[in-house]
Amino acid sequence: MSGVPGSDECVVVGGGPAGLAAARTAARHGVHVTLVDENAELGGQYYRQMPAGFSAAPGSALGRETIEGRRLIEEVRGADVELRLETVAWGIFDERTVAVATREASSLISARTLVLAPGAIDRPVPFPGWTTPGVLTAGGAQNLMKAYGVLPGRRVIIAGSGPLLFVVAHYLLQGGAKVVAICEASPMRQLWRYAPRMLPHLDFVQQGYRYRQEIKDAGVPFLTGHVIRRALGATQVTGAVISRCDDDWSPIEGTEESFDVDAIVVGYGFVSSVELARLAGCQHAWDADLGGWTAVRNRDLESTVPGVFIAGDGAGVAGSAVALEEGHLAGLAVAGRAGRLTGRAYSREISRARGRLLHLAGFRRVMDQLFRFGPGIYTLADGETTLCRCEEVPVMDALQATREGAVEVNEVKAWTRIGMGRCQGRMCGPALAHLIARATGHSVADAGVFTPRPPVKPVALEALAREGA
Amino acid sequence: MSGDDLRMTGAAQRGPALAIVVDGVPVTAYGGESIAAALMAAGQPVMRWTAHAGQPRGYFCGMGVCQDCLVTVDDHPNVRACMTPVREGLRVATQQGLGDLGVSR
Repeated sequence: MSGVPGSDECVVVGGGPAGLAAARTAARHGVHVTLVDENAELGGQYYRQMPAGFSAAPGSALGRETIEGRRLIEEVRGADVELRLETVAWGIFDERTVAVATREASSLISARTLVLAPGAIDRPVPFPGWTTPGVLTAGGAQNLMKAYGVLPGRRVIIAGSGPLLFVVAHYLLQGGAKVVAICEASPMRQLWRYAPRMLPHLDFVQQGYRYRQEIKDAGVPFLTGHVIRRALGATQVTGAVISRCDDDWSPIEGTEESFDVDAIVVGYGFVSSVELARLAGCQHAWDADLGGWTAVRNRDLESTVPGVFIAGDGAGVAGSAVALEEGHLAGLAVAGRAGRLTGRAYSREISRARGRLLHLAGFRRVMDQLFRFGPGIYTLADGETTLCRCEEVPVMDALQATREGAVEVNEVKAWTRIGMGRCQGRMCGPALAHLIARATGHSVADAGVFTPRPPVKPVALEALAREGA
Repeated sequence: MSGDDLRMTGAAQRGPALAIVVDGVPVTAYGGESIAAALMAAGQPVMRWTAHAGQPRGYFCGMGVCQDCLVTVDDHPNVRACMTPVREGLRVATQQGLGDLGVSR
């Protein structure tokens, strides 16, 4: 790869709610935007669109988020936004030069401002059998159903925490699958305590109530204070073992129950995708409520690297409503930086967006308390359980490394190959940090985070060698 | 959900039906589906066997991150089934280990 990098006013990485909103707002104010996304369709995970040739049947459950997303996508498509789809942003160099690649070729784009909106991934939680085909994440299950109308199984158990479990159950039920149980790890006691702070957010509460009612009507057991313990089946899932758990989500021995299922959907919250921001040199801090390592940002959502803004779940997991608003705010800040939005108009727009974010933050704090992440979930794995899915390294190798003196994830990586595979440690990193913290008695933050290396996603050498993506 | 596959009936209108070939056997798919969606719909969640322990793996994260749904497509190994669309006649092989690049190592 060689040549003079193309230069652009603003590059947005990520075509989900945050990236779409940032691109739309910046473009509306006359900024020329290039939007990069790895998928063939815009929308990210939450607004995932069906492929060309597919459509949700009228009145179908699959439609709601898709339709909301399509409106935003059409605004972006109608604006001065250069779309680069099926294009992975695999590195950031010199702070604001983005390296991108398609399947065939690669190139560099230098930008005056950069908006990173990479989103989040389901928090991977190792447990015995979690690599068995038929175990899948809540996000993966949703994509399968939302984009393609395909069920992950006929008899399905859902385990995890948070409102997304209801959404997954809703799709499964609409598709005709049998949901044998929903295991919510949080105790969800004394819900009345949250009522006053939920009142300003009735729309969310009502949506949650509708999902709850649907589950009740379908006769699906909703088991609070329960976790997945084990996936059964040699080559694919044939059953699931669950048990009660305590308030920090540690399983309680002797309370196990088994179910015959052909799919296990697991969703213990989300972790931000921070690899690109870290490559750009943005400072991160540990925030357990926001899903772990979170970019440090100012009120304009600008990171510690000037001109690099980070919006949405990629900078702390807060959901799609916050992501939309943050994307909009970042778009305004980009327009301001480009001199396209100034003076009173700028201040007015910015303070409106900040006001709406403040309103949403109240709801988010309630959800954070209600579904407070329990690190006990990382005791589900036993020594034999695969920790690093790529390199096939079990938990006991990580524990052995800590006994030999490792106190940080990158040390364990160098000694054991955990985190050295194709996923670049995304699947094992959070669990490894918690295992180290438990073994050393230090904090999870002290256990550190894998150093990201370009390419942050696998890119074929053939594509790297050919310029012109 | 119909009797023989995991596609939701009534919920979605699909693209045109086509045939892909999975380990030598024709499998029905619909234009626009990902390879992973077609395999899951066909009740075939095993997409590869790992290099060291020979364990089965399949569709896990569903968003191109976990690298577990790697299959060999038209003799190209390590293709993410969840991110790659089907087309008529596409040859998918359950991947063994690291896959065969067709060059000697």
